[in-house]
Amino acid sequence: MSDIVSGVFAMPERNTPQKTLESWKQIAAYLERSERTVRRWEANEGLPVHRREHEKQDTVFAYRHEIEAWNRLRTKCPGPSAIEEAVNPTSPKAANAYLVEHDAITRTMHCYIAGARAGDGDLMRPAFHPSATISGYCQGVEYTGSVAHVFRWIDENGPAPNITPRFARIEIIETIAVVHLEVEHWSGKLAGANARASDVFTLLKCDGEWKITHKLFHWH
Amino acid sequence: MSKSEYLTEYDQIVQTMQMYIDGSKQGKSELMRPAFHPNASFFGYAGGQLAVGTQFLFDWIDRNGPAPDIEPRIVSVDILDSISVVRLEVAGWSGNLAGSGVRMSDLFTLLKTPDGWKIIQKAFHWHAAERSLAA
Repeated sequence: MSDIVSGVFAMPERNTPQKTLESWKQIAAYLERSERTVRRWEANEGLPVHRREHEKQDTVFAYRHEIEAWNRLRTKCPGPSAIEEAVNPTSPKAANAYLVEHDAITRTMHCYIAGARAGDGDLMRPAFHPSATISGYCQGVEYTGSVAHVFRWIDENGPAPNITPRFARIEIIETIAVVHLEVEHWSGKLAGANARASDVFTLLKCDGEWKITHKLFHWH
Repeated sequence: MSKSEYLTEYDQIVQTMQMYIDGSKQGKSELMRPAFHPNASFFGYAGGQLAVGTQFLFDWIDRNGPAPDIEPRIVSVDILDSISVVRLEVAGWSGNLAGSGVRMSDLFTLLKTPDGWKIIQKAFHWHAAERSLAA
């Protein structure tokens, strides 16, 4: 796969396939889906689409290697063998039990991220335990209480398409886990422009599924 | 010589954790209550049973009674401005409910409030599958 080299530093070469896709039409054609579908994927599922700012209207582009990486992750659901490894520690592949849990946790976190990007509280709701709570400070005001505050805030804030979430830490202790997520380039009606948030999520493995029980945040 | 800002915050966080440890060791929830935020939550599984709510924790500590041989160790303290994560490992839990020699792993999240660092959540894993917290 020669296109997985960086599209940033590589010089344009005439005889190799284009490394960037320069419009919704090209991105849609590359993924063999409609423009409507790929726009929805960007809003809801983290399809990596970039924007160039222009005076009148921004244009979009995407790196083929990023789209391919996204597509590989997206289609990677745990198959029967992965599930068997998780439940049967005597399996010869039991060393991968950690990866099974790690991946399950990042899937839960991606559900949160997709909701944050789309500005859709309902989209992230499945990531949370029904009794989940939040706490933290926003502009000097302390927020503590039900996670319903988060869903309302996300709905009111609206889409934040340019957020760049990074997992700073994932620590798993059997049935509990802590995830430190750093998110830059928050935008929206409430977030303003280009804000940064540090989030610490605590997760609990309930009935085989990882759910967020607490979101602790610091808004920079 | 004044302490650095980091050490000041670190020491205050450890002091808050010490209240939790003292309450655990003596089996007196009143010693640890001031360490917790009024809206704090508590979550974890013990022997397949889900325990929720700080009231469950405080009742459990009081009913368990003294656990003089616990060996608490702070594994990590992470501070991000107004929030913090502390991982605590406690070996040698004993008492009326704990039995003997049980290990507990805790993840505490803390919030810096005008009244100091307060525990806003304790998530735990009880390393004794055969014995629930209410044994």
